[in-house]
Amino acid sequence: MIKKRIVLICPGRGSYTRNTSNYLGHYGYNEKKHIKWIDNQRNKADLPLITELDSQIFKAKSHMVGENASSLIYACSLSDFLTIDTNKYEIVSITGNSMGWYTALSLSGAITKEDGYFLIEKMGSMMKDVIIGGQMIYPISDDHWRVDTKVNEMVLSEVKNVGAHVSIKLGGYLVIGGDKSALDILYKKLPNKGEYPLMLPYHAAFHTPLLEPISRSALQIIDPSIFKKPIIPIIDGRGKIWSPFSTNPLELMDYTLNYQVLNPFDFTSSITVALKEFCPDLLVLLGPGNSLGGAVGQIMVKNRWLDIKSKKDFIDRQDADPYIISMGIRDQRSNL
Amino acid sequence: MSLFNRTEVIDQNFTRWVASGEFPEAKTELKLHQNQINKTDLISIFESQVISRHMDITARLLKDKGDCFYTIGSSGHEGNAVFGKIFPFKDMAFLHYRSAPFFLERSKQLPHSTPIYDLALSFMASSDDPISGGRHKVIGSGELNIPPQTSTIASHLPKAVGTAFSIDRAKDLNFSESKLDNNSIVLCSFGDASANHATALSAFNTASWISTQGGHAPIIFICEDNGTGISVPTDEKWIEYNFSNYNGIKYIKTDGLHLIDLIIKSKEAEKICRINRLPVFLHMKTIRLMGHAGSDIEVGYRAIEEIEKDERNDPLIHSARILVENNCLSKDEIIALYEEKRKQICHVFNFATSRPKLTTAKQVMSTITANKHYLSMNKYPSEDFRKTVFGKEFERIKHPQHMAKLINYGLTDILLSYPNTVVFGEDVAQKGGVYNVTVDLHKQFGSRRVFNSPLDETSIIGFGLGLGHNGFIPIPEIQFLAYLHNAEDQLRGEAATLPFFSEGRFTNPMVLRIPGLAYQKGFGGHFHNDNSLTIFRDIPGLILAVPSNGADAVKMLRTAIREAYENGRLIVFIEPIALYMTKDLHGEKDRKWVYKYPDLKEEIRLGEFKSYGNGRSLTIITYGNGLYLSLKAKKEIERKSQKKIKVIDLRWLSSINIPKLMKSIGNCKNILIVDECRRTGCHGEGIYLQLNEASNKNLNIILHAAEDSFIPLGVSATVTLPNKESIIKSAMTLLND
Repeated sequence: MIKKRIVLICPGRGSYTRNTSNYLGHYGYNEKKHIKWIDNQRNKADLPLITELDSQIFKAKSHMVGENASSLIYACSLSDFLTIDTNKYEIVSITGNSMGWYTALSLSGAITKEDGYFLIEKMGSMMKDVIIGGQMIYPISDDHWRVDTKVNEMVLSEVKNVGAHVSIKLGGYLVIGGDKSALDILYKKLPNKGEYPLMLPYHAAFHTPLLEPISRSALQIIDPSIFKKPIIPIIDGRGKIWSPFSTNPLELMDYTLNYQVLNPFDFTSSITVALKEFCPDLLVLLGPGNSLGGAVGQIMVKNRWLDIKSKKDFIDRQDADPYIISMGIRDQRSNL
Repeated sequence: MSLFNRTEVIDQNFTRWVASGEFPEAKTELKLHQNQINKTDLISIFESQVISRHMDITARLLKDKGDCFYTIGSSGHEGNAVFGKIFPFKDMAFLHYRSAPFFLERSKQLPHSTPIYDLALSFMASSDDPISGGRHKVIGSGELNIPPQTSTIASHLPKAVGTAFSIDRAKDLNFSESKLDNNSIVLCSFGDASANHATALSAFNTASWISTQGGHAPIIFICEDNGTGISVPTDEKWIEYNFSNYNGIKYIKTDGLHLIDLIIKSKEAEKICRINRLPVFLHMKTIRLMGHAGSDIEVGYRAIEEIEKDERNDPLIHSARILVENNCLSKDEIIALYEEKRKQICHVFNFATSRPKLTTAKQVMSTITANKHYLSMNKYPSEDFRKTVFGKEFERIKHPQHMAKLINYGLTDILLSYPNTVVFGEDVAQKGGVYNVTVDLHKQFGSRRVFNSPLDETSIIGFGLGLGHNGFIPIPEIQFLAYLHNAEDQLRGEAATLPFFSEGRFTNPMVLRIPGLAYQKGFGGHFHNDNSLTIFRDIPGLILAVPSNGADAVKMLRTAIREAYENGRLIVFIEPIALYMTKDLHGEKDRKWVYKYPDLKEEIRLGEFKSYGNGRSLTIITYGNGLYLSLKAKKEIERKSQKKIKVIDLRWLSSINIPKLMKSIGNCKNILIVDECRRTGCHGEGIYLQLNEASNKNLNIILHAAEDSFIPLGVSATVTLPNKESIIKSAMTLLND
């Protein structure tokens, strides 16, 4: 049987929401060995168990804080990953958005699943007491998902003017990071578009120079020897492909704990490279949720991938023959 | 194994020999740990080599199915991946067509690059191909500083030298339009057989000329010597003999089969070139695999033993040996890498076969001109500034002058208005040109902006193309029209095709001034009076200007520079030598051919022609000397016929607007086309045809052109050309008909 070639996309921090509550329970992951192992570690560290968090009513205070959200998301993504039938699918590459990069490292074998948990937990907990700055999201595309270059330029110019930073290039959106005062000014300056500009609660100024102390302490506390060559190619937040053969683990560590912490995460380039350099038969968006689906669709529109040139084209394609399989959507998940 | 399908043989050899450890012996004994080379860098280079090999293999498989349109590959030349690693992407690279490994490796310097997909689209001639849009299989990228070219006849070498020269010159002049980093260098690769081309020799000569004069031409000529030019062997020592002692160019030889040697020698070449700003000739000895192209049956001209000997020295197997010997990868890992890349390339290439192709002439032709440069013209210089620069000439500007002087003033103002313009050519500096058209410019602007070139037309035009790559607007001069033919391909094959093959990402902005055409009094001779503009007629995208008087010349020159500056256009500006010093039209001292210098803002738009008179009995269509003679004749014709006529000066000979011309002709049925160029192939020939096609009336058209002859010397110089009397005669024939 010819295996379908798929690229996996690991979601970032905003993916565990009210709508994804009981994700682990719903898909029967609670009893899996890896989940038990994670809970065991959390128990030892006196942290809330992910199975408990997952089964509780969603509360921003407990589910969105870094020390809990990151581990929950990792557990969901890892669980989804482990269900993929490798007799039917060949995973040709893995990528992710923001925190999803740490997940991608783990799923690709560049770090072990266990070290993946520790890395994510540590990076997620570093701002337990004080969150450095914040993040805001703003659309730069029109109703048809085509990037409006004038809006993009306007936003970039305002971001610069207020001393904020581009944090994530997310298809038709820009995620902006900065200190609270800069974001407050920007919030007032950017024209209202529906719910946007939208402040992201419990998010820090990820991928900006403001996180320099976080990077410094990560480099101190994380053992460089956990980084290995990946077994599956991974695509980072610049679009660089880290190969199973030529990866330098020390460079991978430096990128992970230093570069990407302080510089914009270009998810648009990550997906573009995944599409063009691997031409996958399908893109598989790991759970929880499917919050990246729209952004990936917008990146497809930007590249006219599969001749998809607008939001409508994308929706039509997804309805007829889904190209993005979101494991967080039951109907699509069953297609795998 | 098949005697003919060497691709399959080479493919199978790799896995077989790596698995069994039957590696070829190294010609060069070098170890990794002695040379501070990172293991993962070496593996990365190897990956690019393998990807490139699978591209060649897959392209041939797809060619057989009719899905792929290009099979000249890089097999045997995979060593050039090292150059992609060593040299920063900011170093502009003019590449040989066997440079996919270089491209793949350089792409890694910009992580968002997608070189596999982009090259796949290029192989499939898909309109999605981001560099040529399906117009040719080229290796190129704007972001990676790789201008695309087919590089089949080494015509890219002269411009590479020009770009190298431009770097330090732009740094000195410090203008805002420059594009390349101050400490960057230029790379230029080509094959051993290509080193024989006149264009290549012109480039080496120019680089050497600059270098020996103490100038800076930081270029690395990379000669990828595979020992064969299609089917013709290159002597083993030919390249080394010719270039190891070339004056002013440092020669370095490297083993193209050995990654470590390549890295060491590349770094050595880089050091000399980047620090000392000197040209280097990097001679990479390698082999060629899979013949010249997919259609080439190598056994037809080479013994199978020789072919097998080369296959035994496959660079990929040498690289595998080096990786194993230096504990970078195990044999199993190498085979796993090879197979993983095979799957990836097959998949991406197969996907690319489904991408669209160009289907209409309109689509194909949409990039003949780029017109994508959104620069706007610089400010006009202030009067005070002009006064200082013009010096004693400033007061004379107000008085009517002949064409040579007005063009000279025009050039001064252009050099003042555009800090990125440079004037160069044979004798244009201190001497001021053969006809004084560039007189004083060197004094006014110095050697950095007005300089003499070697006596080599190919290098003059190539130099201009290269300068254009770094934000200059070059204004080169070819001394006489007849000399241009020495360098025609630099316009036809290089300059004019660049926007076409790059979707307008790269252009060759340039205004090439050429004194030319016939009628020089008391002189003559073909080489100084050539009267043919035919070679410009069929070059798509080229703008051809032929002014007939000084005022028009200045205004057209301004338009030409603006087109080059704003739209990256290529303009050939023909200056009729016989009219340079002409002052009178009808009689001695009537001074009807001297003109006042036009106001700085005055220009003549592209395609705008001028009518003299509005008579409807006869229309004379002409340009250049033809206009001058026709206006002389006009008076006589009108007196003899007692009818008013009209004379149209076309001014711009490219993209002549026939409907507009028809409108100007109106109801007039008698058309006389006066063309001073040779009848066969002259512009008048085309106009004759187009007017006939466009008109629904029975027009009486006479084409009065020069004889199909060369121009003789002395008193016979004009006997083959239209003159006042012959124009009158033709006109009267039409009027009396």
